[in-house]
Amino acid sequence: GSKYTIGKIEVTGTVSYNEQTVIAFTGLKSGDEIFIPGDKISKVLKKLWDLGLFSDINFYVTNIEGNVADLELEIQEVPELAEVRIQGIKKKATQEELIKENSLTPGSKVTENLTTTTKNYIENKYKKDGYFNTKVVINTTSIVDTTGTNKVNMVVNVDRGEKVKVSNIEFIGNEELSDAKLKGAMSNTKEKNFFRVWKRSKFNYDDFEADKEKVVNKYKENGYRDARIVSDTLIINDPKTVALQLQVEEGSKHYIGNIDFIGNVVYSDDLLTRALGINKGDVYNGVLLEKRISDQSKPDSQDIANLYKNNGYLFAQINTVETKVYNDTIDFEIRIVEGKEAYFNKISVVGNTKTKDHVIYRELRTKPGQKYSQENVVRTIREIGQLGFFDAENVAPNFLNVDPNSGTLDMEYAVVEAGASQIELQGGYGGGGFIGTLGLSFNNFSIAGIFDKDAYQPIPMGDGQKLSLRAQASIYYQTYSLSFVEPWLGGKKPKSLSTSFSYTRQFLYDPIRGKADKSQSFDILGVNVGLAKRLQWPDDYFTLSQSVGFQRYDLNNYNTQLFTFGDGFSNNLTYTLGLSRNSKGINPIFPTVGSEFNFIAKFTPPYSLWNGTDYNDLENQREFQLEDDNGNLLNSDGLRLRPGDEPVGDQSKIDQEKFKWLEFYKIKFDAAWYTTLFNLGPKGPLVLKTGIEYGFLGAYNNDRGIPPFERFYLGGNGMGSYSLDGRESIALRGYPDQSLVPLDRTSFSQASNPDGATIYNKYSLELRYPITLKPAASIYGLMFIEGGASYDNFRDFNPFQLNRSAGAGLRIFMPQFGLLGIDFGYGFDPVPGASSPNGWETHFIIGQQF
Amino acid sequence: CSEYQKVLKSDDAGKKYALAEELYNQAIVENSKSTFRKALRVLEQIVPQYRGKPQGEKLSFLYADTYYQLGDNQIAGYQFERFVASYPKSDKAEEASFKSAKSYFADSPRFDLDQAETVKAIGELQKYIDKYPNGEFLDQANQYVAELRVKLEKKAYEIAKQYHHTENYKSAIVAFNNFITEYPGSPFREAAFYYRFDSAYELAINSYEVLMQERLNTAKGFYTNYKKYYPEGSEYYEQIQANYQDLESRLQNF
Repeated sequence: GSKYTIGKIEVTGTVSYNEQTVIAFTGLKSGDEIFIPGDKISKVLKKLWDLGLFSDINFYVTNIEGNVADLELEIQEVPELAEVRIQGIKKKATQEELIKENSLTPGSKVTENLTTTTKNYIENKYKKDGYFNTKVVINTTSIVDTTGTNKVNMVVNVDRGEKVKVSNIEFIGNEELSDAKLKGAMSNTKEKNFFRVWKRSKFNYDDFEADKEKVVNKYKENGYRDARIVSDTLIINDPKTVALQLQVEEGSKHYIGNIDFIGNVVYSDDLLTRALGINKGDVYNGVLLEKRISDQSKPDSQDIANLYKNNGYLFAQINTVETKVYNDTIDFEIRIVEGKEAYFNKISVVGNTKTKDHVIYRELRTKPGQKYSQENVVRTIREIGQLGFFDAENVAPNFLNVDPNSGTLDMEYAVVEAGASQIELQGGYGGGGFIGTLGLSFNNFSIAGIFDKDAYQPIPMGDGQKLSLRAQASIYYQTYSLSFVEPWLGGKKPKSLSTSFSYTRQFLYDPIRGKADKSQSFDILGVNVGLAKRLQWPDDYFTLSQSVGFQRYDLNNYNTQLFTFGDGFSNNLTYTLGLSRNSKGINPIFPTVGSEFNFIAKFTPPYSLWNGTDYNDLENQREFQLEDDNGNLLNSDGLRLRPGDEPVGDQSKIDQEKFKWLEFYKIKFDAAWYTTLFNLGPKGPLVLKTGIEYGFLGAYNNDRGIPPFERFYLGGNGMGSYSLDGRESIALRGYPDQSLVPLDRTSFSQASNPDGATIYNKYSLELRYPITLKPAASIYGLMFIEGGASYDNFRDFNPFQLNRSAGAGLRIFMPQFGLLGIDFGYGFDPVPGASSPNGWETHFIIGQQF
Repeated sequence: CSEYQKVLKSDDAGKKYALAEELYNQAIVENSKSTFRKALRVLEQIVPQYRGKPQGEKLSFLYADTYYQLGDNQIAGYQFERFVASYPKSDKAEEASFKSAKSYFADSPRFDLDQAETVKAIGELQKYIDKYPNGEFLDQANQYVAELRVKLEKKAYEIAKQYHHTENYKSAIVAFNNFITEYPGSPFREAAFYYRFDSAYELAINSYEVLMQERLNTAKGFYTNYKKYYPEGSEYYEQIQANYQDLESRLQNF
């Protein structure tokens, strides 16, 4: 074009904008030099269009004098939306949802595009739900506004009509496969049937198209390679039902002939044939063949493509070609271009705005210089998810700089940080007074950061350490605990160090005066140090852990049911050895695959082996016999010993001797398997968790006996209620907390009723279905059946004598609060002592998992 | 009801404009965060109204600068960037361009976290340097770029070193190789040379007999490389010498 100087700029057609404002938008000024036609004008036009404020923009040159050009800019402003009304949908909430989903907010610009997309959106939305005849009409009416802005009201008329069901699906031309089989292959298009509750019949065009494909695949699975759907007819019976007619052409049944592998150097024909698992003479199954070569639906399947990909051959290409078809037999050639082996070059992580590099990089299973392995990439994603610092559903592996010539690639793992700290702050009345609790749990703490003032944002984070602090106090007791875990001690190998410390002091509560009696107290001090190491053998899902713990109980004129003495002490020094294997994945909140095993053995030193005390004989020794305040021996009636009387043992003195240092050993085993049963829609899979548990507590010296500590209490939600004796609460839903004492106990048994058991077993089956797995909150529903029982000794042990229950519940995990849940369980068996089934129980679960 | 509140609640954009300007100037003089916050509340209301009008330019600058003065780097960086894009010919464009980059610079996290902001800051600073080769803030900008580059180098170096620390020696060699080619002028270069040698040395002495000779020779090559660039050596001299002596004596066996 030629060069002009801009003279006047005139804006026409505007409604609400100031003329100057529009000119300022264009960036053109009177006196500027431009080419007409030219690049500048188009840019201005584009800029104006991009504003989205105008429905029509035109530039005119109105006058040219010499090289001065006057311009006219004609614009048509898009009207603004004033009010929206939705007709035909009764529910207010749905109306609002539609408005939100289409951004029909007052003030938005009503363009042609907006009305069309809204119409299509609503029509498709209802069609998807089976309202096949949905019609949407959108009307707009201009209104006069006081400010003179161009505004319109919008009325959206939605006529959903009736829900359309499929009355009948008819197949024509099928001889080899029955109607039922073909109908079964259609997973979303179903005939209406009163008894099918899970999936009601509805007609949806997209689903129907997908299902037609499935019918053809069904044929392919059965050897009918050439099967196709010749035609399909949709017959509208009435507004509520349609009938479908599908004409199929089956072709003839085919069989597999010779399969030749070509181009394979790394793997032999033999090995590949075995990996393929399809042999000459088999019925032709196109779907299976494809899956055995490369299963697109499962990244970690055992197919031929992965055989290559897990061993470095990222660039391997595998093509299946039918070389010869004779009669009913097909010969295949599987052509493989193995390509160069691929090696990882750079490995990087992005998105870690809180967690430090070293915490993540040490978990990565793909390392620079390693041969490419798809398996390791999948495993890395699992490991990152399991850390709990990131949104496990959102770990993305990005392949960068993939270079088939040099055989290298870079991997970038994109992560999204998720909250990893939990705060618990409670106050409430209970046990006669105010109870306050403050709990802090930092799962991604940085102990090195506590001296660095910049690290407080608001607390030092990012070293992957775990720090928990908890304090609870009421008028008669206080308890403090602190624990710290460093998962990679020294940073060299995954060896975790955990330490914990706790202290509880309790005074006797006088309910009448409502005060604590400070002269009567009970102190417990606990210290625990443990080391855990990930093993390389038998595989690296194994962890070996060891820990040493010490508890001291100090009684000062304080009588509990635990001890027969009110003044004294007891020490508990234990060594714990644990072996566990955890391969559950990917999301630690909602595992869908894998399993978990734990074997734990806990011992005290066997003091009675070397201290020479005969615990059976204590009552015959002078110092353990009952005496009065003046040191005179007493008889069994509590009277001064008369000639002929036998002195009796003082139970509290004997027990003090027995419990001075506790002596026992304990063995526990539990296992859980996670199996995905079905993939139900996009939300997630239906998962079955199968679990078993056993526990046994024993004594080295039967005269000394099993102490009343560390015992198993079965029943309820399994949460460690306020307990002093190191007891283990074992969850068994459908029964009151800790209610299931051994069934074989009678009034003659040695064990008193509230004592815990020394043996238990438990079995459970749980079905889980995720409602949402968003990082802000993961929610899943569950149904369970389980059973368990506890025993006093092995003579009574009977793995089939169970307290059974079943029920359902819900779990919510929010990063700030941890896990919350509610379960309703029905106990089919009576609790010991009762005669009728226990019935319904409600359990609340906080901060732990079943 | 104070005068400030009255203006804040009124519909008079002109009054608000005057008040915002007054508060901003006052805040600059007093260096008072609370006054900046007051100014911000007014600015937030009128900036959209004046967009596209002659006063818009000044107002946008004040708006961005208020965030800048309040230390809200993320928004300041974005607002200044927007200002430069909207008013490239403004007198304040240079200052805005620098302040935008400086805001991103201030937002750059410690080296062992995600460095998206660092890369962004380097980009913005480089844009400033390219556009204003004689600019007022050139020295500072160059200094910031250098500082951020060292941060990226430290990140890459520490990651490579972690492979060495966790005894993934093969990976450490690859990572240090990449580091040495990618960051030629880095202050960590000597250390990278040393650790590359040490990784190769450790890998060699812990390998099977059949692989050892070749791997010892690789390590020897890395030693030669180190000596070429650091004939005097410094920090790592004694360590490297000790290991090298051992390496030579082991090579005698073949």
